[in-house]
Amino acid sequence: MEDTALFIVDKAREMGAEYAEARLQIDLRESIIVKNGVLEASVFEESRGVGIRVLVDGALGFASINSFRRDNVEKALKHALKIARSSSKLVRRKISMGRGDLGYGKFEVKPRVDFKNVDLDSRVNLLKEADEQSVHAASAGNVKAPSRIITLDTWITEKIVLTSDGANVYSVTPRAALFTLITVFHPQKGTVQRYLNLGETGGWELVERWNLPKIFYDETYTLSRILTEAVKPPRDEMDVVLGPEVVGIVSHESCGHPSEADRILGREAAQAGETFLKSDSIGLKVGSPYVNVVDDPTLKGSFGFYLYDDEGVKARRRILIKEGAVNEFLHNRETASVFNVESNGSSRSAAYNREPIIRMANTFFLPGDYTEEEILEEVKDGLYIKNFMEWNIDDRRFNQRYVGLEAYKIENGELKNMVRNPVLEITTTGLWSSVDAASKKLEFQAAYCGKGDPMQGIPVWTGGPHIRLRKVRIGGA
Amino acid sequence: MMLDEIPQYIVDLAKRLGATDVTAKLTESRRIMIRFSNNEVTVSKAFLENSVDIFVMIEKHRAATTISTLSIRNIKKAVENLIRMAKSTPPADVYAPLPQGPFTYNPDLMRAPKIPLDPDNLAVYVESAIKSALEKGATRAAGTLNAYRSRITLATSGDVYASQEKASMEISIRAFVSDLATGHAVSVASKLEDFHPEEAGSMAGEIAKAASNPKPGEPGKYMALLGPMVLADIVNQVGSLSSAFLVDAGQSFLVDKMNSEVASERFTLIDDPTLAGSLGARAFDDEGVPTKRNIIIENGILKTYLHNTITAKKFGVETTGNAGIIVPYPWNLIVEPGYKSPEDLLAEIDDGIYVTNDWYLRYQDYRAGDFSTIPRDGMFRIRNGEIAESIRELRISDNMLRLLRNIVDLSRLRMWVKWWEVEVPTLAPYALISELNFTKSAM
Repeated sequence: MEDTALFIVDKAREMGAEYAEARLQIDLRESIIVKNGVLEASVFEESRGVGIRVLVDGALGFASINSFRRDNVEKALKHALKIARSSSKLVRRKISMGRGDLGYGKFEVKPRVDFKNVDLDSRVNLLKEADEQSVHAASAGNVKAPSRIITLDTWITEKIVLTSDGANVYSVTPRAALFTLITVFHPQKGTVQRYLNLGETGGWELVERWNLPKIFYDETYTLSRILTEAVKPPRDEMDVVLGPEVVGIVSHESCGHPSEADRILGREAAQAGETFLKSDSIGLKVGSPYVNVVDDPTLKGSFGFYLYDDEGVKARRRILIKEGAVNEFLHNRETASVFNVESNGSSRSAAYNREPIIRMANTFFLPGDYTEEEILEEVKDGLYIKNFMEWNIDDRRFNQRYVGLEAYKIENGELKNMVRNPVLEITTTGLWSSVDAASKKLEFQAAYCGKGDPMQGIPVWTGGPHIRLRKVRIGGA
Repeated sequence: MMLDEIPQYIVDLAKRLGATDVTAKLTESRRIMIRFSNNEVTVSKAFLENSVDIFVMIEKHRAATTISTLSIRNIKKAVENLIRMAKSTPPADVYAPLPQGPFTYNPDLMRAPKIPLDPDNLAVYVESAIKSALEKGATRAAGTLNAYRSRITLATSGDVYASQEKASMEISIRAFVSDLATGHAVSVASKLEDFHPEEAGSMAGEIAKAASNPKPGEPGKYMALLGPMVLADIVNQVGSLSSAFLVDAGQSFLVDKMNSEVASERFTLIDDPTLAGSLGARAFDDEGVPTKRNIIIENGILKTYLHNTITAKKFGVETTGNAGIIVPYPWNLIVEPGYKSPEDLLAEIDDGIYVTNDWYLRYQDYRAGDFSTIPRDGMFRIRNGEIAESIRELRISDNMLRLLRNIVDLSRLRMWVKWWEVEVPTLAPYALISELNFTKSAM
């Protein structure tokens, strides 16, 4: 792989590129789908190819081809050079690659249990057992679970990133992920649904650690309680405690995305949109002093784990909001050059045939000093929203909505009856400004973040502790 | 071996190794994409891809793979692995043999017109779209131009061997008068003569200009006029969630609704891949079955789910020609038009809202259909049949079945829509919806 990458970069320079980057990537993926207890599909996919970026006359060209053969990669390189040259006349502000701590070396995440040592039967049986637990839990909760779908993916990403200015990083990263959508039904009460994502970096050992049968039993039993016990939510101003799953999505949507420097510059304006933050927003107060949100690719075992990004820049923790103020944006080398800062290693691509762009990795609210009990005990009359189903946010990342799934009334510091679908519809600054406490214990959830054109779904973690919001309105305006 | 001989080679090899049913689909594609923002190109991309999707069944035992290294050695290895995998797979609940051909396909659906992939030519389209948006008053424009050409060659153990070309030209452009005053439009076509980037630029610019100085909207239930981009997003939900696979998974508000009223009688939705020259035209599906015009919803009544052979057997019906080997999907969604102009529809609104675009649609419960989505770009308050002011910061928070049942009327004018948020090509009119629920952030 290295020889081919070197060939591409040398050839690109020889043919007039100011900058060249070759990424050779192989993703080997095994997926199984179990629907309503029956194996629907087992799929093996090999995605293998080269992604090439070049800068010519200040214009950026990208080309990909699903081959490592010299004649084919040279063809792709010529395409990249040609389209860059062709579009350079429509580029007013010449693009350049800014500073970054470029890496050199090999990095491999070694699984304890290799995926190839786990046969199909074991995988299917595990999902079937989990599925059976869903059915049992529904029965115990006096409801039905008429539809269950579970997808289990395991894959290994092997890649080399080599740039004309010295980065040369080879990495191997195994990952596993599970997605499920469970529907629970009661003839008089209707339906309630839960989807759940689990995902980490590592081998089969992490799938074993998840204890899927227990998760499926617990989640389904909780759904049965929501369906049969939960009452209409209040529409009022009150204190609200958010669980880590909600805090995670809020951190991702209302801090991570607004902090992406390419959005600030308008590069995603016609797709995922822009951001309420501007180039000069560093230091802007967006929340209370209790709000500290970071993005950190270096968390071992995390779904968004990497040590060097897809431009070969060393990854590090990025402190996005510090004590309620905007502290840092997410940068790749292109935006680092515009902002005259050093890239903080946020450039990622979902596959060989996708351009590396600014992405989050693991975005989370930093823990505070409280225990969960202490957070609750200071709430006289409020709401606890543990997790959610529906959510969205506008394309400036300012108006958002989270509709709770498992949620409870809080009375005099204690959890009381369940409430159904409480709606937190609130602005970003409104939400962050009302935070007055965070608990000590941090939890994470897996997700695929969507961005780019063509779309790139990329593995991330979102997370946080429990946080408390004072006097926010439930039910929207 | 020539590339187009690979699918048949795979079918023969897999059968020799014990497969009862095999499909091999070779996709050769070339795509050029030019992305732009702030009136200049940010990146240009070329995608050169050849890959083969293989699916085998040994009666109830199934497995699938995608390979992109198309050497004989690698193909052999992949097929052997796949057969081994299928043999070790627990049996599925049904065995549905692949449809037996050979079939006759409509030759008009198998050829694609020539479209340019030369970046110099394509850059001209980008320039003209941006120029048109600026001429209408926008200060900046962003978007994507796509030129795509592909050939699909399919062989199956059911005596299918067929090849089909595809081509498309697409531009999606968003114009800005300010950060809060924006307009979005698209032009998508399979023939160059139907591709009008300058019209898309003008429309985006006009909407952005009209959206200047927006005021915060007021939440509530309104008579709403949804533009074609919004209706296309809604219709993509209906079309995609009419897939029998997703119905079976509970991931659809159409579960248990066959032959019942799911929409207003004004609403008829068709999946029509047989429309030659349209963006989503297809001669055959991934099982080699000739595609057909399927009426999903007729005058408000749900008439069919979309099927491949396996889901059809499970549901006790015939395939609709929408395979997707695992998940059936729509090809080319068509909403039947109404009789009035968009202006006439708008004139019928005493007090309502006109939404030109939306994004980020998410469900609280797929099966119940509770969802919300966020209007973006121009949104306008309508009073006494006229646009009164530009508004912002509202969200559509409603139920999909209620929305469909509340369709009051549809326009005669329809537009083809496909963009980042709308995957399936959709011919959509303007739609007048009663009692549409709009919500808003509290602080």
